[in-house]
Amino acid sequence: MVTAICAFFASAALYAQFNAGFYALEVSGSIRQTMPRAAGVGASYETAAYPLYRTELAAGDGEQEISSYCNTCHSPRYITMQPPLPSDTWAAEVNKMIKAYGASIPDDSTQKIIQYLQSHYTPETRKK
Amino acid sequence: MTIVREASRRRFLRTLGAGGALGLVGQWNALNAFAQEPTAPHDLPNFTGPGANPYWNSVGPLVTEPQKSPLILLTDRPVQLETPRHYFLNTFTPNDAFYVRWHLETIPNSVDLKEWRLHVEGNVRKPLALGLNDLVTQFKTSSIAAVNQCSGNSRSRLQPRVPGGQWGNGAMGNALWTGVKLREILNAAALKSGSLQLQFEGLDRGKGPEGFGSNRFMKSLDLTDPVLDETLVAYSMNGEPLPMLNGFPVRLVVPGYFATYWVKSLSWIRVLDKPDENFWMKTAYRIPDTPGGSTTPDDVKAGKVKTVPIAKMPVRSFLISPDGSSKLPSEVPVLLQGIAFSGYGGIAKAEVSIDDGATWRTARLGEDTGKFSFRTWELSWIPQKPGKHTVAVRATDGEGHIQKDEAVWNPGGYLWNRIERQEIVVGPAG
Repeated sequence: MVTAICAFFASAALYAQFNAGFYALEVSGSIRQTMPRAAGVGASYETAAYPLYRTELAAGDGEQEISSYCNTCHSPRYITMQPPLPSDTWAAEVNKMIKAYGASIPDDSTQKIIQYLQSHYTPETRKK
Repeated sequence: MTIVREASRRRFLRTLGAGGALGLVGQWNALNAFAQEPTAPHDLPNFTGPGANPYWNSVGPLVTEPQKSPLILLTDRPVQLETPRHYFLNTFTPNDAFYVRWHLETIPNSVDLKEWRLHVEGNVRKPLALGLNDLVTQFKTSSIAAVNQCSGNSRSRLQPRVPGGQWGNGAMGNALWTGVKLREILNAAALKSGSLQLQFEGLDRGKGPEGFGSNRFMKSLDLTDPVLDETLVAYSMNGEPLPMLNGFPVRLVVPGYFATYWVKSLSWIRVLDKPDENFWMKTAYRIPDTPGGSTTPDDVKAGKVKTVPIAKMPVRSFLISPDGSSKLPSEVPVLLQGIAFSGYGGIAKAEVSIDDGATWRTARLGEDTGKFSFRTWELSWIPQKPGKHTVAVRATDGEGHIQKDEAVWNPGGYLWNRIERQEIVVGPAG
């Protein structure tokens, strides 16, 4: 009994100095390593295909138009990467894609895309 | 009874401490330096804003891309990747950690060097089509250490935020570039009189319609620009071939200039006899023609802002370590370490403030590897007082420009070079 009490107080003194032994389930995920690439000895210098990462766009009306038109030149990460932008900035961005970059988008789809971005990606509306 | 498992013993003690059932143990727990039980870590948020990004890097996930160590993802198509902070402890940035920024989505996955040629054409007497072997064997080899920094590096600092690649500070890197001086190639091509500009284009192409910036990416420099004397066509980066994502087989190296001119997988040099009016010169990558390239949203709206093509990089400096992720005990010396660089004549001085910019101490500069390179700096600091300290860094370049504590704003989100700050928490050492 005396031994147990001594052990108890020794332990109390030890763990007054620090915490230890806490583990938690990972939250951020892990990255698999990729296989070294087998190269031929010819004059062609190659890399693997560039990976596409899943991007979670907000669900809503206009999502279909985004994937039909915006995805031609860039992945939807170009949208989710942005900070929340004011409504008029989103309208200007979509119009820039049409006028400056030549995106061919019918008028009604243009309006849908602008409304979609305004409904999900402004300081007032952006959730994640 | 003498064998008590550590975990259950600890749990028991914590229960006592929390419940206060045993006053003595409760006191011990209150004295515990880690009074709070560790919980699972939290992910960074998916985005920052509308305020400024408070983190050193951008907030995207770490990803693996061909020939690269895990880097921070901005976008996957076209590829844009940012270099994590800790890589900047060294003068040279490893190739596998070097940031990536492409404008167009159709970028090379392979290059056949039997077929590939660097074409020099346009207003020349002797058009050239040079293989990589020609570049290596027919011309004198030159090397230069030079910083490559994206025009939009740190764009996520701007207030109000502007659309574009939301880079933290990691859209930069320094390498020892080896290749052929552009002047040597131009001499071999024998420029005709009336030549005005050089246009550079790589292998990247976009899905946009012909005649638009979404179809081709081209950049030009004036033939009168003194930077051409330093410019290199580089086939080697830190003593290795360039990674595909950084422009294999050759890229343009324009020392002191923002990376927009450092055309990757360079395959065409066109000598122009009239100014290049393509989108990437006439519309994009332009900065207000004001001191420091700053303006206001109101002036932009009012159409008052005259612009010029972006060019040289203003002086910048960074604290790399400590990065604020760990609390420091007072009285224990800590080495403050970082880098500085400028497109204007190298680094003359780096200064550190541990009181949020009230007073400054001169840091010790590391080895000088050339005026276009990163210059490391370090300063030993003994934190005296527990509390929150704001460490600030500023550099002065070879032409006497000193970093200012003023925010930069322009609609492109370019040229950010405000004094950087890092909060460091110091606790008592006993």
